[in-house]
Amino acid sequence: MTIKKLLLATTAVALLGASIAPAMAQTTIRLVSKDLLTTNPDDMKEIEEIEAGLKAAGHDIDIQTVDLPGGTAAYVDALGVMLLSGDIPDIIYFQGGDQKMAEQGILEDLNPFIEKSEHIKDALWPHNVDRLANYPYLLYIYPPRAPQPVIRQDWLDQLGMEPPKTVEEYEALFQAIHDADLDGDGTPGNTLGLTGFGNTNELDSIFNQAFGVTGTWMKNADGAWVNSRVTDAEKAKIEFYARLAEKGLFDKEYVTNTFDVKEDKFYTGKAGVVFGSSPEVIDIYAGKMRQAHPGEDITLALLPIPSGPGGQGLAAVDVSKESRGFAISSLSEHKDEAFAVLDFMASKEGQDIDRLGFEGVHHNTDASGAVTFTDQISTWYARFFNAANWVPPTPLLSPTAQAALDTIKDNFVADNAFVWPADYAADVDATEQVYRSWVAKFITGEASLDQWQQFVDEYNAAGGTRMAEYAATVLK
Amino acid sequence: MVAGDGQKIAAVTSDGNVPAVGERVRSSGNIPLSSTTSLGAKVRQWWPYYAMMAPGLLFFFIWHYVPIWEAKMAFEQVRIIPPNIWVGLKNFQQLFSSPIFYQVLANTLIISGMKILFVFPVPIIVALLLNEIRSGKLRGFVQSAIYLPHFLSWVVIAGVFIALLSPTDGAVNQIQNAFGFPSVNYMTNTGTIRWVLVISEIWRSAGWDSLLYLAAIFAIDPQLYEAAEMDGANRWQKIWHVTIPGIVPTIATLFILNMGMFLSADLNQVINMQNDVNASTIDILDTYVYRLGLSTGEYALATAAGLFKAVIGMILVVSSHLVSKRLTGKGLW
Repeated sequence: MTIKKLLLATTAVALLGASIAPAMAQTTIRLVSKDLLTTNPDDMKEIEEIEAGLKAAGHDIDIQTVDLPGGTAAYVDALGVMLLSGDIPDIIYFQGGDQKMAEQGILEDLNPFIEKSEHIKDALWPHNVDRLANYPYLLYIYPPRAPQPVIRQDWLDQLGMEPPKTVEEYEALFQAIHDADLDGDGTPGNTLGLTGFGNTNELDSIFNQAFGVTGTWMKNADGAWVNSRVTDAEKAKIEFYARLAEKGLFDKEYVTNTFDVKEDKFYTGKAGVVFGSSPEVIDIYAGKMRQAHPGEDITLALLPIPSGPGGQGLAAVDVSKESRGFAISSLSEHKDEAFAVLDFMASKEGQDIDRLGFEGVHHNTDASGAVTFTDQISTWYARFFNAANWVPPTPLLSPTAQAALDTIKDNFVADNAFVWPADYAADVDATEQVYRSWVAKFITGEASLDQWQQFVDEYNAAGGTRMAEYAATVLK
Repeated sequence: MVAGDGQKIAAVTSDGNVPAVGERVRSSGNIPLSSTTSLGAKVRQWWPYYAMMAPGLLFFFIWHYVPIWEAKMAFEQVRIIPPNIWVGLKNFQQLFSSPIFYQVLANTLIISGMKILFVFPVPIIVALLLNEIRSGKLRGFVQSAIYLPHFLSWVVIAGVFIALLSPTDGAVNQIQNAFGFPSVNYMTNTGTIRWVLVISEIWRSAGWDSLLYLAAIFAIDPQLYEAAEMDGANRWQKIWHVTIPGIVPTIATLFILNMGMFLSADLNQVINMQNDVNASTIDILDTYVYRLGLSTGEYALATAAGLFKAVIGMILVVSSHLVSKRLTGKGLW
């Protein structure tokens, strides 16, 4: 071979390589999420599996996660500062603070991507569709959060009562729990029928519709839009809560309870009924209850949605926007690849990784393809989505939790809340403070329901009137 | 220590002062009253001291002076993609026009006032009492015991107080019940929650804050106590006529510095003690700004509130300095 031929051959190989290289080039996507940290080996292993799955699907993507402090408040603070400093990853998980970014055009409209997506459009829950129509910047594929009440099945059996179907039957159940010595400490009358934490959101989940609180905005007798918080339906509901608290059936210390205190009261028998915020959480409660009572085969019973003077159903779901979720930066040079990552996570392959954990650690697959979970599955949690169309190879939820999920699916009602313009931020904050404060005072007995009008006046003065005027321009 | 000209620096001068950095020692070993040496020569001569001081200066410059320029954000609409847009006083108008701003401001003033009135004197009293303990071992034990709460976070302290004050099984209410008094839910009672803030602040900080006063007490010339004893002064008279006057400059300085933080009523404490019932009573500027500004990404609004607090703080520092100068002859400068 002459030197000339050698040079020609070398040049040809180099050109061929150069032409192939772009097609095989790996794209780097930066992703920041509260639940994905380089310091967590499980997170990194999941990312590796996702990258492998994406490659098999034809996307050679290197996902680089950005570490931010854990804990919701610290994450939100750190994320805001990071974005403000101009460091904007391709995929951003928000848990608040997104609206400001969207207003400035930093977040990409996801609807065109979803429209032509391979997996996501089939994986959405009904409320996701509504929320994306109103606010197309965040994607959070999970069933709506609808807390539902649970009780120890053995306690319900001991009481000889059927699950309550009406508001009155709920009160009777709480009274029976309170009066009986179900925890066996020898002192009847010291068990709470129901406990909660922080505020009344959990209770509202099943009692709103029962008392006629059908949504955030309701029409009054004159046909004008008013916030449901200042309606007679709301007053009737708060009266019910206050009566329960006064009789010692509902925990007056709910305002100072943290979630772990609430759980502890349930596990130790100080309270008979608690609300689980999601089907998965109900299963966690069941597991912790069994841990607290070794040797006893305790199961939890899901209590039904009660009917009341105003109707029956789960509280209307706010579909104005996702309160958290994944966004794609409009400044990203790899928007298609970033969306490909999200789309993959909504696919069967992506969900298998995200929901089932690692083969040999969280689950085992036998030769026939049957999947069995190990004890480690209780430590696993999805980092991305809970797709509506994904069916686990083996049931992930207990029958109680599955019943809770079915209830959520069957009772979805969209709320008429909408996104507030930035100018109304102070009014929204002020009215929220006034409402929360008065409700807690009514329930703990610091204020009497006779002062309801005083609350309404204060609420309206704090911005309620201005907000209602704006609502009238938005709602039809 | 050997000075540049080879003369050994006396540990202290005849009037008890330590020579200042940069002062040249005369051949006699005495400290000169003034120096005409150029700055460059001073730096060359005393560079180890300047080198030691540099990190501190750098820290203050970067973290305390550079951000002052960024306070202009209070007058801007912050853009992720620059440039920011100048909006004048719009952020301040939004802040002051909030329906609950004046209630929040009133809460801040009340809580800060209560803390100045009831929390500020406690470390002074603690230091005076500690100084009276004659047994070194006992004093060491008491000091360690009362310093410890300083190292606990407000999350933990809030948990402790919520448990202690629980109306059902809290120790405080059980003691009350034993004496025939009814239970009170101190954490959800709008009349008591501010006192919970004051008492928990005392519990957490009194021991630690007494350190400065204790150090000031130890610096008082023992001859003054001996002279008082010779004059027949008892313990109380020695405290009143020797110890307290001896620490007045420290008290004045710390009081003035505390006034500068008057509108900062401790975000961490309040946010951990806050609940739906007491929110209207202890919602302070910091919690309000955190809620409305930081958690929603309204950084300009948060900066406007911060600037408002800083201006008020500066006014309070300068006025308390002037008052202190007039009353005690001591101030910050």
